[in-house]
Amino acid sequence: MKVKTLLLAGGAILVGASSANAGGFQVYLPSQQSIGMGGVGVGLSMEQAAQFMNPGAMAMLRQNGVQVGVSATFARLAFRPIAGGEQRQLENTTVTPFNLYASFGPKEGKFRAGISVYTPYGSTLKYEDGWEGRFALSEITLRAIYVQPTVSYALTDQLSVGAGLMILTTGSVNLQRVVPLPSAEGKIELDGKTKTGFGVNAGIFFKPSDKLSVGLSYRSKIDAKVRGGDVTVSGITPALQGRFVGDKFDATLPLPATFNVGLGIMPTDKLTIGLDVNFTQWSEYRSLRFDFKKDGAPAQVGAGTFSESKRSYEDALTFRVGGQYKVNDKLALRLGGAYDMTPVKDGYVTPETPDNNRIIATAGVGYNITENFGVDASFMFQAILKRTQTEADLLNNGTTDRVAGTYRTNVSIPGIGLRYNF
Amino acid sequence: MNLIFKRSAPFLALLGLVLGGCQPDLNDDPQSSAGQADFSRYIAVGNSLTAGFGDNGVYREGQLQSFPAILAGQFQQVGGGNFVQPVFPEANANGSGFLRIASFTPAGTPVLGQVAPNGVVGLGADGRTPLLVRFTGSDNQNLGVPGIRVADIATPGYGFNNPLGFNPYFERLLAANDPRSYTQYVQERVATIKPTFFTNWLGNNDVLGYASSGGTAAPLSDPADFRAKYTDITNVLTAGGAKGVVITIPNVANVPLFTTVPTAAVIGQVRAGAVPPTLAAQLTAGLSLTPAQAATIRFGFFIETATGAREATAADLLLLTSSGVINTPSTTANPFPVGVGISITGLAPAQAGGLAAVAPPNALPSRFVLDAAEVAAVQARTTELNNIIKEVGQSKGLAVFDANTFFNGVARNGIVVNGVGNSAAFVSGNLFSLDGVHPTPRGYAVIANEIIKVINATYGAAVPGVDPTTYRGVQFP
Repeated sequence: MKVKTLLLAGGAILVGASSANAGGFQVYLPSQQSIGMGGVGVGLSMEQAAQFMNPGAMAMLRQNGVQVGVSATFARLAFRPIAGGEQRQLENTTVTPFNLYASFGPKEGKFRAGISVYTPYGSTLKYEDGWEGRFALSEITLRAIYVQPTVSYALTDQLSVGAGLMILTTGSVNLQRVVPLPSAEGKIELDGKTKTGFGVNAGIFFKPSDKLSVGLSYRSKIDAKVRGGDVTVSGITPALQGRFVGDKFDATLPLPATFNVGLGIMPTDKLTIGLDVNFTQWSEYRSLRFDFKKDGAPAQVGAGTFSESKRSYEDALTFRVGGQYKVNDKLALRLGGAYDMTPVKDGYVTPETPDNNRIIATAGVGYNITENFGVDASFMFQAILKRTQTEADLLNNGTTDRVAGTYRTNVSIPGIGLRYNF
Repeated sequence: MNLIFKRSAPFLALLGLVLGGCQPDLNDDPQSSAGQADFSRYIAVGNSLTAGFGDNGVYREGQLQSFPAILAGQFQQVGGGNFVQPVFPEANANGSGFLRIASFTPAGTPVLGQVAPNGVVGLGADGRTPLLVRFTGSDNQNLGVPGIRVADIATPGYGFNNPLGFNPYFERLLAANDPRSYTQYVQERVATIKPTFFTNWLGNNDVLGYASSGGTAAPLSDPADFRAKYTDITNVLTAGGAKGVVITIPNVANVPLFTTVPTAAVIGQVRAGAVPPTLAAQLTAGLSLTPAQAATIRFGFFIETATGAREATAADLLLLTSSGVINTPSTTANPFPVGVGISITGLAPAQAGGLAAVAPPNALPSRFVLDAAEVAAVQARTTELNNIIKEVGQSKGLAVFDANTFFNGVARNGIVVNGVGNSAAFVSGNLFSLDGVHPTPRGYAVIANEIIKVINATYGAAVPGVDPTTYRGVQFP
């Protein structure tokens, strides 16, 4: 009961996840320790966040513990229309993705149980008023909060498995765009909460020696389904109001499955190196469709009773490398990097995910204030590489519902975490 | 407190630096530039399209959003100077008057109304041409004169208020009683302004007058005369070494004036009407029809052409104005509505024609239809004149914007800009104003962008384009 109350409270503070923290609208900020190390951890059993990255590794943790972390994302985007002209920027929004992990088990026991709350997908972007892509998007907030109870079991001293039930407890989407009218501009806002969704997070962890460990994990897809979200339109020319009668919408957004492989190398007691590869099944995201309704029946909003926009994402890989060096019992320094390949094909870039391949650099520091209590700080910098799509690209792909131009984004993500082990 | 601040200041400064330096910058990617062109002094030569004509009128709002004005705004970002237009003053903002959507029928069809002119100051010496508020400035750079043909540009007194008639849009640009020709006016403007860049979009009216009258008024201009006059004005414009763009004539058959009333559907509707059996019996008896002929008695849709009345085909283009005429009660003693007649297969044409249309005349009058032969004539002449425009332009090393090719593409596929669809459709397409020929401000912005693309390609420039979605389509009430 207490844990549940805690989680609900946590859910209330969660401001959602930010724009663009991993390819597509994935947010890969497992924990402050992992962020400092480039996001590695599938092949490690260092910390409580194992239950997110690889539940199989949790059984190898030797201590009960609770850890929380929060990051602040500062995304800075530049867009320049294909015809040239002044660049457009985002209005500054700061969002604070949050993570919470706790696990408990008998000392030296084989079992370990845990609970976690994290935000693996999300996006918040607010474009400046009047920008060229406003008919595709002026503002989006996408949140998905997962709660995951987990159990893990050590089959042998070297091999452990684990699984968690992923519950999409709180999810919401708010999407705003400008409606083109012959001699005016209206506005439409789609706002809805997702239904509860379920998935599984399972992993296996193998540590053949003190110097080497490997892990595999899988997180299944959850469809974030909105049923009966609110459609609000304003500023519609009187003669055209008959085309905007729908007041509810249905939509489904796939939060895709990921396969993860990780390697841990511990050359000395002080040094830990991790190498991870994430494979995200983005190809599930084929189109974004909104079905409009009024009183339960299909109803027109704009051109028809539904709007559908091609996504046609591709499966994508992320490569991560990171290390931690323990200077002494109290201080740990972390460094990492990643290369994150975009799921978005040429000509399919949309304003809600102005995506491209990313180069990521991270650094972190951990400090044990007491034997049980520690604090971690992390910093991640992502450069989303320059991406241009021309009008011809859009025409060729039938994706003229978006805007031609060049995007370039940088994201800075400082974060801080606390951990208590007992 | 002070201590905390002192200790955290360096950290905060560093954080600020990191976050501040985080903003990517694409402004120089690529950098805007004039390339080999010099936009410091720009003049625009042309007709209604250059003047910002729309909704069948010249009025202040349209003038302010003329394509030369839009271009000049973009040129200013790469060294262009001020651009003066002969806009109607605020007090006369409705100018020559114009069309607007007054209301909608319950079915959603727009009902057009006329906004009264308030830029008219009197009546010309010919007793019919309105005199418009004169532009008194001496610095005009938008030399667009609605209605002018290349055939007219060397005509003395074209803007002179005289009893034989004159062009009121030219008259208002000149001093009172100025007998100069348009070419002479342009010459004076060139000498005064010393333009470094120009656009020339003349030629449309050399085919449009013929087309928009259904082939009944203003003949198609003669190519040899067109070449001579077009070459003349191009020489005038380039005399001081100015660079510029010449623009071809879009095929008028693609504009809503000719495409909105669907000929095939009208034919289908007329034919679907059942001939009353009593009438069929009378015809069979009166014309001594064979049973085979009698079986073919049906209604048909008839049009008047240069070679007499005949049944329409889908290749004949009905003018927008025909929608108010077709199927209305005949103004003659003919019992059928306008355009409707009896068709009997195998009957001698004279007899059939007589039946259908001539006595008393009931075929759709020629001025409401551009028949297939006229369409072909317009297209052939458009091609001829466009070849002259391209040749003359290229011989002077000028940029050539082939508006004909561009609008053919728009007519086929529409044009999507920044996620907003636009097409050549009447009212709903955003690009054409309520007169069905002239663009809306959105249409003019799209044209300006295409011209910029050609300028950039020809002169190695990087003039930024505009966002056409910020310009309106048809004004909705």
